[in-house]
Amino acid sequence: MAFFNSLRRWLATAFAMTAVFSAHAGPMGFKGSAMTMGDISPNWQEGWVNYALSSRNAVGVGALAMRSDDKRLTRKLSELTYTRLLKRVNGEHSQANLWFIGGVGPVSGNNFSGSKTLWAPGISADYETTRVYVSGTLRLYRANGMNHDFASARAGFSFYEVDYEETQPWFIVEARRMRGLSEGIEITPMLRLINKRYFVDLGVNNMKQGRVNFMYIF
Amino acid sequence: MFNFSKILTSPLKILCAAVVLSTASGLVTVATAAESAKATVNGMVCAFCAQGIEKRLSSLPATKAVFVDLRKKIVAVEAREGQSLDLAAIRHEITEAGYDVVKLETVAMSVEDLKAQTAASRPARK
Repeated sequence: MAFFNSLRRWLATAFAMTAVFSAHAGPMGFKGSAMTMGDISPNWQEGWVNYALSSRNAVGVGALAMRSDDKRLTRKLSELTYTRLLKRVNGEHSQANLWFIGGVGPVSGNNFSGSKTLWAPGISADYETTRVYVSGTLRLYRANGMNHDFASARAGFSFYEVDYEETQPWFIVEARRMRGLSEGIEITPMLRLINKRYFVDLGVNNMKQGRVNFMYIF
Repeated sequence: MFNFSKILTSPLKILCAAVVLSTASGLVTVATAAESAKATVNGMVCAFCAQGIEKRLSSLPATKAVFVDLRKKIVAVEAREGQSLDLAAIRHEITEAGYDVVKLETVAMSVEDLKAQTAASRPARK
């Protein structure tokens, strides 16, 4: 038992040090495109859409509803978002990115009245080839008297390479944690399908809850 | 009444007809000789990300077809008949989509030819 507690603490520290983001290559599309994303599970329902003003900057709106693991606390956030590609390194067979993600908006909850202004700056990094993927995200969710800082990490591999027109299956494992709402580490193995038109993750977490992520670029 | 003998006996008209046929033949030859820009691009690792390249290049006025090969890291743009490709614009669009162009050349091949060529030289799926 002590070993597992130690392992959990180590993983939590590792995730906190390894910033990750939920997308495969980034939280925005190409210049002039609109991207929409959804992340849906019983304790977490998130959706946003952003517009890429340039190849490095995007603005958008999003909404996030969260519930604690024990189902007692709830939060609802609406935010304006800004995404910036801080650094991209294109290799012959790889790509690596460093992102800034910022958000601000009103948050409400079932244990306080009215709403508060919440600030959510974050940083994300990813590295991928046609066969391997690893990423990490750290994001602060702060309001007056509220701290729901978030960390997640993802890693996985594709089963095989594909042509541009084909759908590529991946196996991805994500671990994430949100302070004050989900003190345990949620671990979700997922099947990822990447097509040039869409991007879908389907999984079941360690609490036996189903989860769906999707991304689409217009 | 149409008089063939009059045409056949008119050297000037025969010369004109020959010139017209020759020119038409030349035009057909130009139209069927496809020209494509072939770029080797760093950073292309997934189709979802690379769709930006396809969409941006497809919107160029001289573009007839676009081909993306993730395994060989190749992007090809075929020109519309009678139009020239702007290599600088192609390089710009790929760069604006977030990728690096390491080689860009013009080849006398259609996108279909390039697809067939890369398919033939493709290693087994791994």
